Amino acid sequence: MDKDLLSILPAAPEPIYQQIAAQLRRLIMSGRLAAGEELPSVREVAGHHAINPMTVSRAYSQLEAEGLLDRRRGKGMAVAESRRRPLSDERRLEELDAALEDLARQARELGLPAARVLERLRGLLER
Amino acid sequence: MNALMAARDESAAPLLCEGITKRYDGQPVLSSVGLEIPAGAVLGLIGRNGAGKTTLIRILLGLLSPDAGMAYVFGEPALNLRDGAMMRLGYVPQQPDMLAWMRVGEMLEFVGAQYPKWDRAFVRHELERCGLDPKRRLTALSPGEHQRVALIRALAATPELLVLDEPAAALDPVARRDLLREIALRAGESGTTVLFSTHIVPDLERVASHVAFLHNGSFVLSSPMDELAERYGRLVVPAAAVPVAADPLPGELSRRRRSDGTLAVVVARSPGAAWPLVGTAPQARVDALGLEDLFIEVTQ
Repeated sequence: MDKDLLSILPAAPEPIYQQIAAQLRRLIMSGRLAAGEELPSVREVAGHHAINPMTVSRAYSQLEAEGLLDRRRGKGMAVAESRRRPLSDERRLEELDAALEDLARQARELGLPAARVLERLRGLLER
Repeated sequence: MNALMAARDESAAPLLCEGITKRYDGQPVLSSVGLEIPAGAVLGLIGRNGAGKTTLIRILLGLLSPDAGMAYVFGEPALNLRDGAMMRLGYVPQQPDMLAWMRVGEMLEFVGAQYPKWDRAFVRHELERCGLDPKRRLTALSPGEHQRVALIRALAATPELLVLDEPAAALDPVARRDLLREIALRAGESGTTVLFSTHIVPDLERVASHVAFLHNGSFVLSSPMDELAERYGRLVVPAAAVPVAADPLPGELSRRRRSDGTLAVVVARSPGAAWPLVGTAPQARVDALGLEDLFIEVTQ
Protein backbone atom coordinates (compact mmCIF):
# COMPACT_ATOMS: atom_id res chain seq x y z
CA MET A 1 0.00 0.00 0.00
CA ASP A 2 1.16 3.50 -0.82
CA LYS A 3 1.59 5.64 2.29
CA ASP A 4 0.26 8.64 0.39
CA LEU A 5 -3.16 6.97 0.20
CA LEU A 6 -3.66 8.33 3.69
CA SER A 7 -4.18 12.02 4.17
CA ILE A 8 -3.80 13.46 7.63
CA LEU A 9 -5.52 16.69 8.58
CA PRO A 10 -4.11 17.79 11.92
CA ALA A 11 -6.56 20.68 12.32
CA ALA A 12 -9.72 18.57 11.93
CA PRO A 13 -11.79 17.91 15.06
CA GLU A 14 -11.59 14.18 14.32
CA PRO A 15 -8.58 12.67 16.14
CA ILE A 16 -5.80 11.53 13.79
CA TYR A 17 -6.16 7.86 14.78
CA GLN A 18 -9.80 7.99 13.75
CA GLN A 19 -8.90 9.68 10.48
CA ILE A 20 -6.49 6.86 9.67
CA ALA A 21 -8.93 4.15 10.75
CA ALA A 22 -11.79 5.65 8.73
CA GLN A 23 -9.68 6.02 5.58
CA LEU A 24 -8.33 2.49 5.79
CA ARG A 25 -11.81 1.15 6.48
CA ARG A 26 -13.10 2.80 3.31
CA LEU A 27 -10.14 1.56 1.27
CA ILE A 28 -10.69 -1.97 2.51
CA MET A 29 -14.45 -1.96 2.10
CA SER A 30 -14.24 -0.58 -1.41
CA GLY A 31 -11.70 -3.27 -2.27
CA ARG A 32 -8.94 -0.81 -3.16
CA LEU A 33 -6.97 -2.63 -0.52
CA ALA A 34 -7.41 -6.30 -1.28
CA ALA A 35 -7.53 -9.21 1.18
CA GLY A 36 -4.01 -10.27 2.09
CA GLU A 37 -2.42 -6.97 1.07
CA GLU A 38 0.23 -5.81 3.52
CA LEU A 39 0.01 -2.46 5.21
CA PRO A 40 3.05 -0.23 5.68
CA SER A 41 4.62 -0.62 9.12
CA VAL A 42 3.67 1.70 11.95
CA ARG A 43 7.10 3.26 11.70
CA GLU A 44 6.77 3.95 7.97
CA VAL A 45 3.39 5.62 8.35
CA ALA A 46 4.48 7.60 11.41
CA GLY A 47 7.73 8.71 9.76
CA HIS A 48 6.11 9.57 6.45
CA HIS A 49 3.41 11.76 7.98
CA ALA A 50 5.47 12.93 10.99
CA ILE A 51 2.90 11.69 13.46
CA ASN A 52 3.14 9.80 16.73
CA PRO A 53 3.58 6.04 16.11
CA MET A 54 1.17 5.30 18.95
CA THR A 55 -1.53 7.04 16.94
CA VAL A 56 -0.91 4.72 14.00
CA SER A 57 -0.81 1.63 16.25
CA ARG A 58 -4.09 2.63 17.78
CA ALA A 59 -5.76 2.89 14.36
CA TYR A 60 -4.34 -0.48 13.30
CA SER A 61 -5.45 -2.15 16.53
CA GLN A 62 -8.94 -0.78 16.17
CA LEU A 63 -9.25 -2.21 12.64
CA GLU A 64 -7.83 -5.49 13.88
CA ALA A 65 -10.54 -5.60 16.55
CA GLU A 66 -13.13 -4.92 13.84
CA GLY A 67 -11.81 -7.89 11.90
CA LEU A 68 -10.62 -5.81 8.95
CA LEU A 69 -6.90 -6.40 9.54
CA ASP A 70 -4.89 -9.45 10.57
CA ARG A 71 -1.70 -9.15 12.58
CA ARG A 72 0.90 -11.34 10.93
CA ARG A 73 3.65 -12.81 12.96
CA GLY A 74 6.79 -10.75 12.43
CA LYS A 75 5.34 -9.11 9.36
CA GLY A 76 3.00 -6.44 10.61
CA MET A 77 -0.52 -5.95 9.44
CA ALA A 78 -2.38 -7.15 6.37
CA VAL A 79 -5.93 -6.82 5.15
CA ALA A 80 -7.89 -9.70 6.71
CA GLU A 81 -8.42 -12.83 4.62
CA SER A 82 -12.10 -12.73 5.58
CA ARG A 83 -12.35 -9.62 3.36
CA ARG A 84 -12.50 -11.96 0.37
CA ARG A 85 -16.24 -12.25 1.04
CA PRO A 86 -18.06 -9.09 -0.01
CA LEU A 87 -19.80 -7.09 2.72
CA SER A 88 -23.55 -6.70 2.96
CA ASP A 89 -25.06 -3.48 1.59
CA GLU A 90 -26.24 -2.75 5.12
CA ARG A 91 -22.68 -2.85 6.48
CA ARG A 92 -21.29 -0.69 3.71
CA LEU A 93 -24.15 1.75 4.13
CA GLU A 94 -23.18 2.21 7.78
CA GLU A 95 -19.95 3.72 6.53
CA LEU A 96 -21.92 6.59 5.04
CA ASP A 97 -23.87 7.32 8.23
CA ALA A 98 -21.68 10.19 9.39
CA ALA A 99 -21.70 11.89 5.99
CA LEU A 100 -25.46 11.39 5.65
CA GLU A 101 -26.18 12.78 9.10
CA ASP A 102 -24.13 15.83 8.21
CA LEU A 103 -26.02 16.19 4.94
CA ALA A 104 -29.35 15.90 6.73
CA ARG A 105 -28.33 18.55 9.24
CA GLN A 106 -27.25 20.97 6.52
CA ALA A 107 -30.45 20.36 4.58
CA ARG A 108 -32.51 21.14 7.69
CA GLU A 109 -30.50 24.27 8.36
CA LEU A 110 -31.18 25.42 4.82
CA GLY A 111 -34.88 24.63 5.30
CA LEU A 112 -34.97 22.38 2.21
CA PRO A 113 -37.83 19.91 1.71
CA ALA A 114 -36.63 16.29 1.86
CA ALA A 115 -37.99 15.50 -1.58
CA ARG A 116 -35.80 18.11 -3.27
CA VAL A 117 -32.69 16.91 -1.47
CA LEU A 118 -33.37 13.28 -2.34
CA GLU A 119 -34.01 14.21 -5.95
CA ARG A 120 -30.66 15.99 -6.14
CA LEU A 121 -28.90 13.12 -4.40
CA ARG A 122 -30.44 10.60 -6.77
CA GLY A 123 -29.21 12.70 -9.69
CA LEU A 124 -25.67 12.63 -8.27
CA LEU A 125 -25.78 8.90 -7.61
CA GLU A 126 -27.01 8.02 -11.07
CA ARG A 127 -24.63 10.34 -12.85
CA MET B 1 29.30 6.56 47.47
CA ASN B 2 26.08 6.01 49.29
CA ALA B 3 24.40 3.04 47.58
CA LEU B 4 20.97 4.32 48.44
CA MET B 5 21.66 7.62 46.71
CA ALA B 6 23.07 5.90 43.66
CA ALA B 7 20.09 3.61 43.19
CA ARG B 8 17.94 5.31 40.65
CA ASP B 9 14.24 5.03 40.72
CA GLU B 10 13.31 3.59 37.33
CA SER B 11 9.61 3.97 38.05
CA ALA B 12 9.80 7.71 38.79
CA ALA B 13 8.08 9.94 36.25
CA PRO B 14 10.63 11.71 34.04
CA LEU B 15 9.06 15.04 35.01
CA LEU B 16 6.83 15.79 37.96
CA CYS B 17 5.89 18.97 39.78
CA GLU B 18 3.49 19.87 42.54
CA GLY B 19 2.10 23.17 43.77
CA ILE B 20 4.45 25.30 41.70
CA THR B 21 3.88 28.98 42.39
CA LYS B 22 5.97 31.82 41.01
CA ARG B 23 5.59 35.58 41.14
CA TYR B 24 7.49 38.25 39.26
CA ASP B 25 7.37 41.69 40.92
CA GLY B 26 4.45 40.51 43.04
CA GLN B 27 2.49 39.46 39.93
CA PRO B 28 1.59 35.77 40.01
CA VAL B 29 2.85 33.95 36.89
CA LEU B 30 2.16 30.39 38.04
CA SER B 31 -0.38 29.48 40.72
CA SER B 32 -0.04 26.06 42.25
CA VAL B 33 0.70 24.21 39.03
CA GLY B 34 0.96 20.41 39.14
CA LEU B 35 2.05 18.17 36.30
CA GLU B 36 3.22 14.62 35.76
CA ILE B 37 4.64 13.41 32.47
CA PRO B 38 4.73 9.61 32.24
CA ALA B 39 7.62 7.89 30.49
CA GLY B 40 7.21 7.76 26.71
CA ALA B 41 4.60 10.53 26.59
CA VAL B 42 4.90 13.51 24.26
CA LEU B 43 3.32 16.44 26.06
CA GLY B 44 2.54 19.55 24.05
CA LEU B 45 2.31 22.65 26.21
CA ILE B 46 0.36 25.55 24.78
CA GLY B 47 -0.42 28.93 26.19
CA ARG B 48 -0.67 32.47 24.96
CA ASN B 49 2.32 34.81 25.00
CA GLY B 50 3.27 35.46 28.60
CA ALA B 51 1.26 32.52 29.91
CA GLY B 52 4.30 31.29 31.86
CA LYS B 53 5.37 28.36 29.67
CA THR B 54 9.07 29.20 29.73
CA THR B 55 8.95 29.94 33.45
CA LEU B 56 7.32 26.57 34.08
CA ILE B 57 9.86 24.74 31.93
CA ARG B 58 12.77 26.43 33.70
CA ILE B 59 11.32 25.53 37.08
CA LEU B 60 10.69 21.92 35.99
CA LEU B 61 14.35 21.60 35.05
CA GLY B 62 15.66 23.31 38.17
CA LEU B 63 17.00 26.36 36.32
CA LEU B 64 14.79 28.67 38.34
CA SER B 65 13.49 28.28 41.88
CA PRO B 66 9.77 28.50 42.46
CA ASP B 67 8.31 30.56 45.33
CA ALA B 68 6.49 27.42 46.42
CA GLY B 69 6.18 23.83 45.29
CA MET B 70 8.61 21.15 44.16
CA ALA B 71 9.78 19.84 40.81
CA TYR B 72 11.42 16.46 40.20
CA VAL B 73 13.39 15.11 37.25
CA PHE B 74 13.58 11.30 37.18
CA GLY B 75 12.50 11.42 40.81
CA GLU B 76 15.31 13.75 41.91
CA PRO B 77 14.66 17.28 43.17
CA ALA B 78 15.16 19.48 40.10
CA LEU B 79 17.12 22.09 42.01
CA ASN B 80 19.92 19.64 42.88
CA LEU B 81 20.17 17.41 39.87
CA ARG B 82 23.16 15.13 39.88
CA ASP B 83 25.27 14.59 36.75
CA GLY B 84 23.65 11.23 36.09
CA ALA B 85 20.24 12.81 35.67
CA MET B 86 21.69 15.67 33.59
CA MET B 87 23.13 13.16 31.13
CA ARG B 88 19.68 11.69 30.55
CA LEU B 89 18.15 15.06 29.81
CA GLY B 90 18.20 17.15 26.64
CA TYR B 91 16.99 20.74 26.75
CA VAL B 92 16.73 23.31 23.98
CA PRO B 93 15.79 26.73 25.31
CA GLN B 94 14.04 29.35 23.23
CA GLN B 95 17.27 31.26 22.72
CA PRO B 96 19.94 28.61 22.72
CA ASP B 97 23.15 30.08 23.97
CA MET B 98 26.00 27.87 22.87
CA LEU B 99 29.69 28.56 23.21
CA ALA B 100 29.30 31.10 20.45
CA TRP B 101 32.99 31.62 19.69
CA MET B 102 33.36 28.03 18.48
CA ARG B 103 32.80 26.48 15.10
CA VAL B 104 29.79 24.18 14.65
CA GLY B 105 31.88 20.99 14.47
CA GLU B 106 34.13 21.96 17.39
CA MET B 107 31.22 22.76 19.63
CA LEU B 108 29.51 19.44 18.86
CA GLU B 109 32.76 17.53 19.50
CA PHE B 110 33.33 19.40 22.75
CA VAL B 111 29.80 18.83 24.04
CA GLY B 112 29.71 15.26 22.76
CA ALA B 113 32.77 14.30 24.77
CA GLN B 114 30.71 14.83 27.93
CA TYR B 115 27.92 12.44 26.98
CA PRO B 116 28.28 8.66 27.26
CA LYS B 117 25.65 7.97 24.61
CA TRP B 118 26.68 10.65 22.09
CA ASP B 119 25.60 9.65 18.56
CA ARG B 120 28.36 10.84 16.18
CA ALA B 121 26.76 9.29 13.11
CA PHE B 122 23.56 11.19 13.82
CA VAL B 123 25.47 14.48 14.03
CA ARG B 124 27.27 13.86 10.73
CA HIS B 125 24.09 12.78 9.00
CA GLU B 126 22.04 15.72 10.25
CA LEU B 127 24.66 18.36 9.42
CA GLU B 128 24.90 16.95 5.92
CA ARG B 129 21.17 16.78 5.49
CA CYS B 130 20.65 20.43 6.36
CA GLY B 131 23.75 21.51 4.47
CA LEU B 132 25.54 22.97 7.48
CA ASP B 133 29.31 23.19 7.13
CA PRO B 134 30.89 22.14 10.46
CA LYS B 135 33.60 24.74 9.91
CA ARG B 136 31.19 27.66 10.16
CA ARG B 137 31.29 29.76 13.27
CA LEU B 138 28.24 29.65 15.50
CA THR B 139 28.11 33.45 15.48
CA ALA B 140 27.70 33.40 11.69
CA LEU B 141 24.57 31.20 11.68
CA SER B 142 21.09 32.47 10.94
CA PRO B 143 18.54 32.07 13.76
CA GLY B 144 17.05 29.04 12.00
CA GLU B 145 20.46 27.37 11.55
CA HIS B 146 21.28 28.14 15.14
CA GLN B 147 18.11 26.40 16.23
CA ARG B 148 18.90 23.37 14.10
CA VAL B 149 22.36 23.07 15.61
CA ALA B 150 20.87 23.35 19.09
CA LEU B 151 18.41 20.55 18.25
CA ILE B 152 21.15 18.35 16.80
CA ARG B 153 23.16 18.91 19.95
CA ALA B 154 20.24 17.92 22.20
CA LEU B 155 19.19 14.90 20.12
CA ALA B 156 22.70 13.53 19.59
CA ALA B 157 23.01 12.92 23.32
CA THR B 158 20.17 10.34 22.95
CA PRO B 159 18.36 11.79 25.95
CA GLU B 160 15.60 9.86 27.71
CA LEU B 161 13.86 13.15 28.39
CA LEU B 162 13.77 15.88 25.80
CA VAL B 163 12.51 19.35 26.69
CA LEU B 164 12.02 21.83 23.86
CA ASP B 165 10.89 25.40 24.40
CA GLU B 166 9.30 26.67 21.18
CA PRO B 167 11.59 24.48 19.08
CA ALA B 168 9.96 25.24 15.76
CA ALA B 169 9.74 29.00 16.00
CA ALA B 170 12.74 29.74 13.77
CA LEU B 171 12.55 26.67 11.52
CA ASP B 172 11.33 26.57 7.93
CA PRO B 173 8.47 24.14 7.15
CA VAL B 174 10.77 21.37 5.92
CA ALA B 175 13.02 21.58 8.96
CA ARG B 176 9.95 21.69 11.18
CA ARG B 177 8.56 18.54 9.64
CA ASP B 178 11.94 16.83 10.08
CA LEU B 179 11.95 17.78 13.73
CA LEU B 180 8.42 16.47 14.28
CA ARG B 181 9.33 13.20 12.63
CA GLU B 182 12.36 12.88 14.88
CA ILE B 183 10.30 13.57 18.00
CA ALA B 184 7.55 11.17 16.97
CA LEU B 185 9.85 8.30 16.09
CA ARG B 186 12.05 8.66 19.16
CA ALA B 187 9.02 8.66 21.43
CA GLY B 188 7.48 5.71 19.65
CA GLU B 189 10.58 3.56 19.32
CA SER B 190 13.01 4.47 22.06
CA GLY B 191 10.37 5.52 24.58
CA THR B 192 11.84 9.02 24.80
CA THR B 193 9.71 11.32 26.92
CA VAL B 194 9.17 14.73 25.35
CA LEU B 195 7.88 18.04 26.63
CA PHE B 196 7.56 20.79 24.07
CA SER B 197 5.93 24.16 24.12
CA THR B 198 4.61 25.67 20.94
CA HIS B 199 2.22 28.12 19.35
CA ILE B 200 1.92 25.99 16.24
CA VAL B 201 -1.12 23.92 17.03
CA PRO B 202 -1.08 21.53 14.04
CA ASP B 203 2.47 20.46 15.01
CA LEU B 204 1.22 19.49 18.38
CA GLU B 205 -1.73 17.60 16.92
CA ARG B 206 0.62 15.50 14.86
CA VAL B 207 3.06 14.32 17.47
CA ALA B 208 1.69 14.95 20.93
CA SER B 209 0.18 12.11 22.94
CA HIS B 210 -0.97 14.59 25.62
CA VAL B 211 -1.78 18.26 25.60
CA ALA B 212 -1.98 20.89 28.34
CA PHE B 213 -3.18 24.51 28.11
CA LEU B 214 -1.50 26.95 30.45
CA HIS B 215 -3.65 30.01 31.02
CA ASN B 216 -3.66 32.65 33.76
CA GLY B 217 -1.04 30.73 35.70
CA SER B 218 -2.64 27.30 35.77
CA PHE B 219 -3.71 24.43 33.55
CA VAL B 220 -7.20 25.06 32.22
CA LEU B 221 -7.15 21.84 30.25
CA SER B 222 -5.02 18.74 30.20
CA SER B 223 -5.89 15.59 28.28
CA PRO B 224 -4.61 12.72 26.17
CA MET B 225 -4.84 13.92 22.55
CA ASP B 226 -7.02 11.03 21.45
CA GLU B 227 -9.67 11.84 24.05
CA LEU B 228 -10.03 15.54 23.26
CA ALA B 229 -13.01 15.15 20.96
CA GLU B 230 -14.74 12.94 23.48
CA ARG B 231 -13.99 15.10 26.51
CA TYR B 232 -14.50 18.62 25.22
CA GLY B 233 -17.27 20.12 23.18
CA ARG B 234 -18.88 23.43 22.42
CA LEU B 235 -22.59 23.63 23.20
CA VAL B 236 -24.33 26.18 21.07
CA VAL B 237 -27.66 26.99 22.64
CA PRO B 238 -30.42 29.40 21.67
CA ALA B 239 -30.45 32.61 23.67
CA ALA B 240 -33.72 31.66 25.35
CA ALA B 241 -32.36 28.39 26.76
CA VAL B 242 -29.74 29.94 29.05
CA PRO B 243 -29.80 33.40 30.57
CA VAL B 244 -26.27 34.72 30.15
CA ALA B 245 -25.94 35.38 33.86
CA ALA B 246 -27.02 31.84 34.79
CA ASP B 247 -24.76 29.67 36.92
CA PRO B 248 -21.95 27.87 35.11
CA LEU B 249 -22.88 24.53 33.58
CA PRO B 250 -21.22 21.42 34.99
CA GLY B 251 -17.71 21.26 33.54
CA GLU B 252 -17.94 24.71 31.97
CA LEU B 253 -14.64 26.18 30.78
CA SER B 254 -15.80 29.30 28.97
CA ARG B 255 -18.87 30.97 27.60
CA ARG B 256 -19.53 33.79 25.21
CA ARG B 257 -22.48 35.38 23.52
CA ARG B 258 -22.26 35.00 19.75
CA SER B 259 -23.28 37.71 17.33
CA ASP B 260 -26.43 35.79 16.35
CA GLY B 261 -27.56 35.85 19.97
CA THR B 262 -26.84 32.19 20.69
CA LEU B 263 -24.58 31.26 23.55
CA ALA B 264 -21.44 29.15 23.03
CA VAL B 265 -20.31 27.25 26.11
CA VAL B 266 -17.21 25.05 26.10
CA VAL B 267 -17.69 22.13 28.47
CA ALA B 268 -15.54 19.28 29.71
CA ARG B 269 -17.06 15.92 30.58
CA SER B 270 -15.57 12.63 31.66
CA PRO B 271 -15.22 10.17 28.80
CA GLY B 272 -18.50 8.34 28.34
CA ALA B 273 -20.56 10.83 30.37
CA ALA B 274 -23.42 12.84 28.86
CA TRP B 275 -23.27 16.50 27.86
CA PRO B 276 -25.11 18.90 30.19
CA LEU B 277 -28.86 18.71 29.76
CA VAL B 278 -29.17 22.08 28.06
CA GLY B 279 -27.34 20.55 25.09
CA THR B 280 -30.51 18.63 24.32
CA ALA B 281 -32.73 21.75 24.25
CA PRO B 282 -34.52 22.35 20.94
CA GLN B 283 -32.11 23.85 18.36
CA ALA B 284 -29.14 23.30 20.63
CA ARG B 285 -26.16 21.45 19.22
CA VAL B 286 -22.79 20.16 20.35
CA ASP B 287 -19.80 20.93 18.11
CA ALA B 288 -16.64 18.90 18.18
CA LEU B 289 -13.74 21.33 18.31
CA GLY B 290 -10.33 21.08 16.74
CA LEU B 291 -7.47 21.83 19.12
CA GLU B 292 -6.95 25.33 17.81
CA ASP B 293 -10.61 26.31 18.20
CA LEU B 294 -10.69 24.75 21.63
CA PHE B 295 -7.60 26.71 22.62
CA ILE B 296 -9.06 29.98 21.36
CA GLU B 297 -12.40 29.36 23.07
CA VAL B 298 -10.94 28.70 26.49
CA THR B 299 -8.14 31.26 26.54
CA GLN B 300 -9.54 34.35 24.90
